[in-house]
Amino acid sequence: MTVSPPLPPTQPAPRRWLVYVSWPWRITLGYLSLILLLPIAAVLVKASTESPAQFWAIATSPVALSAYNVTFGTALIAALINGIFGTLVAWVLVRYQFPLKRLVDATIDLPFALPTSVAGLTLATVYGQHGWIGSLLAPFGVEVSFTRLGVGVAMIFISLPFVVRTVQPVLSEMERELEEAAWCMGASHWQTFWRVLLPPLIPAILTGVAQGFSRAVGEYGSTVIIASNIPFKDLIAPVLIFQRLEQYDYAGATVIGTVLLGISLLMLLVINWLQAWGRRYA
Amino acid sequence: MGLWKQVSRRWGRVGAIAVIALLCLKLLACTSLGNSTGKPPVEVTLAAFVVTRTVHEQLIPKFVAQWQREHQQQVTFSRSYGGSGSQTRAVVDGLDADVVHLALALDTERLQKAGLIQPGWEREFPDQSIVSKSVVALVTRPGNPKQIRDWSDLAKPGITLVTADPKTSGVARWNFLALWNGAIQAGADTAQATEFMRNVYNNVPALTRDAREATDVFSKQERIDALINYENEVILSAQKGMPLNYTIPRVNISIDNPIAIVDRNVQKHGNREVAEAYVRYLYTPEAQTVFAQLGFRPVDAQVAQQFASQFPHVEKLATAQTYGGWQKIQKRFFADGAIFDQIRTQIGK
Amino acid sequence: MHSLDTNPLPAVTGAGTQPQRWVPTVLTAIALTYLSLVLFLPILNVFIQAFNHGFGPFWANLTESDSLHAIWLTLLLALVVVPLNTVFGLCAAWAIARHQFPGRVLLLSIIDLPFSVSPVVAGLMIVLLYGRNGWFGPWLEAINLKVTFAFPGMVIATAFVTLPFVAREVIPVLEEVGSDQEEAARILGASDWQTFWRVTLPNIRWGLIYGVILTNARAMGEIGAVLVVSGNILGKTQTLPVFIEEAYKQYETQSAYAAAVLLALLALVTLAIKELLERRTRIQSEA
Repeated sequence: MTVSPPLPPTQPAPRRWLVYVSWPWRITLGYLSLILLLPIAAVLVKASTESPAQFWAIATSPVALSAYNVTFGTALIAALINGIFGTLVAWVLVRYQFPLKRLVDATIDLPFALPTSVAGLTLATVYGQHGWIGSLLAPFGVEVSFTRLGVGVAMIFISLPFVVRTVQPVLSEMERELEEAAWCMGASHWQTFWRVLLPPLIPAILTGVAQGFSRAVGEYGSTVIIASNIPFKDLIAPVLIFQRLEQYDYAGATVIGTVLLGISLLMLLVINWLQAWGRRYA
Repeated sequence: MGLWKQVSRRWGRVGAIAVIALLCLKLLACTSLGNSTGKPPVEVTLAAFVVTRTVHEQLIPKFVAQWQREHQQQVTFSRSYGGSGSQTRAVVDGLDADVVHLALALDTERLQKAGLIQPGWEREFPDQSIVSKSVVALVTRPGNPKQIRDWSDLAKPGITLVTADPKTSGVARWNFLALWNGAIQAGADTAQATEFMRNVYNNVPALTRDAREATDVFSKQERIDALINYENEVILSAQKGMPLNYTIPRVNISIDNPIAIVDRNVQKHGNREVAEAYVRYLYTPEAQTVFAQLGFRPVDAQVAQQFASQFPHVEKLATAQTYGGWQKIQKRFFADGAIFDQIRTQIGK
Repeated sequence: MHSLDTNPLPAVTGAGTQPQRWVPTVLTAIALTYLSLVLFLPILNVFIQAFNHGFGPFWANLTESDSLHAIWLTLLLALVVVPLNTVFGLCAAWAIARHQFPGRVLLLSIIDLPFSVSPVVAGLMIVLLYGRNGWFGPWLEAINLKVTFAFPGMVIATAFVTLPFVAREVIPVLEEVGSDQEEAARILGASDWQTFWRVTLPNIRWGLIYGVILTNARAMGEIGAVLVVSGNILGKTQTLPVFIEEAYKQYETQSAYAAAVLLALLALVTLAIKELLERRTRIQSEA
């Protein structure tokens, strides 16, 4: 076994740092440019072929505005619900034992593996008027299919794995001694959870929420099936993009796409910044 | 440390097994196609809209056998099926289709505009290059409790119906046109027809992405009284074990699906002869019989007569030409801010 | 529960020192109810729809050469995309978690971005770049290389939609673990590679594994973007999700659902590997 010589202590730190990280950085930036930045640039350039006035008119048409409202509002609520329940599910899966636990654990990833249209179909069936869950809700006047609620349910379904899967590894790594120490020192459950357990989990939860939110914003295949797609009611922005494409209006489609990208990026920045800030003060 | 060695060895083994399994699958998938004699084999790519799949899948093997017999040449077909608009976009963006069978001439004209198809494609084949036809059907609940028989019934208050969104489904534009035509033929002027359309779409609780999803919504949601769909979809649905109760309104629109050769691609591939032969084969009585069996109204007069009992008679059949052709229809009804947009904005607000 | 929270100075009581019995039961019940509503019942419905007429139609459909090819292509796609995104994800996670630099939050947010791009738009992006009329279209045609409507385009589309998973799963774990052990290893004379392989990797393995599982599941299940760039040619560029979509459009609902079940099971193959690894680890730690 060869062991590289220990670092000479006199070496100036910044240069070592540069040499040390250069390969991972190169791969990160190179791959990111090729797979992510270049395609996004293509969309931005296509969108900019519309004149600014035209761009503004398409981006702020009443139908588009209501679609943004439905898309982002519902996605945010769905992400928050998954944030709370996803953390709970992760906690239960890591800390407790119960029958069929492994099966439950395995099922969590299924929303990604099912093609989104199949997800939409099965949700429309189960939450439909005569579905297993829909028929229970119907007597209370709660309708899921053809409403914003349906869009929300679809968004929760397709983004369910995110929070669970980001919190799980952190929980597994976390030492139980910490909370046991807290208990020994007499903290109540609620205090232990709030002061000891939650702070280190927050970055992971926020990561999951951010991902779930952005996935829900982009989702199209399942939501289009369960929603009524009627403008001003529950028409989501990705459907609007598809409508434009169907008219061969590539530029118009990319305009809406650009707006979605911009708003998503802003919201992601806020969530990620909150997370970084939370870490610093945790 | 040992753990990771073990794990990587284990992963290596899992990987090797996976690769072997994949190769076996690949071999299974690529079953060798018999030996060729005579001319070198030729390949034709077909891009068609999705409901024609059953027809082409039946006709292609017959054509391939016939061509082999007559020309001692092996033909293979690459087939792609999808929404008419998506197929058109794919061909514009570089899908190497030699033959395109689309839901409406608007899409074929789009390919002409992109320079892929020479102008005059309508005259290349019989019947304006229309190879399959259908009409619009009104699907109702068994026993028709709401007494829905004609277009005018759909505008009545208290009726709910479902149909595909003309904005996302190219084919759903035929439905819109059928409704409009129903109003106009009943003597309405443009303002009255627009009012009628508003009343109809006011009764639509959901606009689905395409015809198939509309059928699904209708079969799952019992509170919906009616479904507007194409006759051939309804027949296909019945053949696949999902029978629907329907009527064909006497005033109707002829859903014409054109076929065309993509000139640029056949030039590149040098397979124009075979591609054209396949299209011509689709017009033969043999092929048209298959079209008829699978729910399309045949374009061949003789075959049409033979299947007359299967397809209810339509008294007043309008076509896209009645309304000035698809370019005009698109601009007047479906473009940004056109009649359909006005209607749905009024309803939504 | 809330009353306890307001108590600023915890009194040392018997209730506080021992975990209460009912807490796990109640929490598990809530979690399982939630999962039943949004996950189990919809999935169960897929299984029931798939096999309510037995295995016959399912089997007949799957043994056709076109559907076999679709299965093969889906697996191949995952086999190419998952390693690519894993390498990228590890590099990006290391770069981001181990360094403070201006624009760090921006870089993180950009990595998150692919999820919020509607799959249709993701497909459109690739067509705008590599399609016949795209930026590189004429050049690609000149050297006779097909990217769109061929395998390379499908790889790019799938890589795009699954880009964030590994990086985003690994970053929180890397941050949680901290860099003390790595520094210790380096001071003790380990090379970068040794440090990574023996210290970092074992520490982040759960995050990494979840990232790989999610990448794999999503890579196999993706339909929107792939449909746009593949052209859906039977036996050539048709993947299993697209096969499912087409079966549905043909009113072959049952075979669509059955193929969906198969796809879901394929995507979970990685879970089996995780299981294996977990067992190994347990044996190791007990030894």
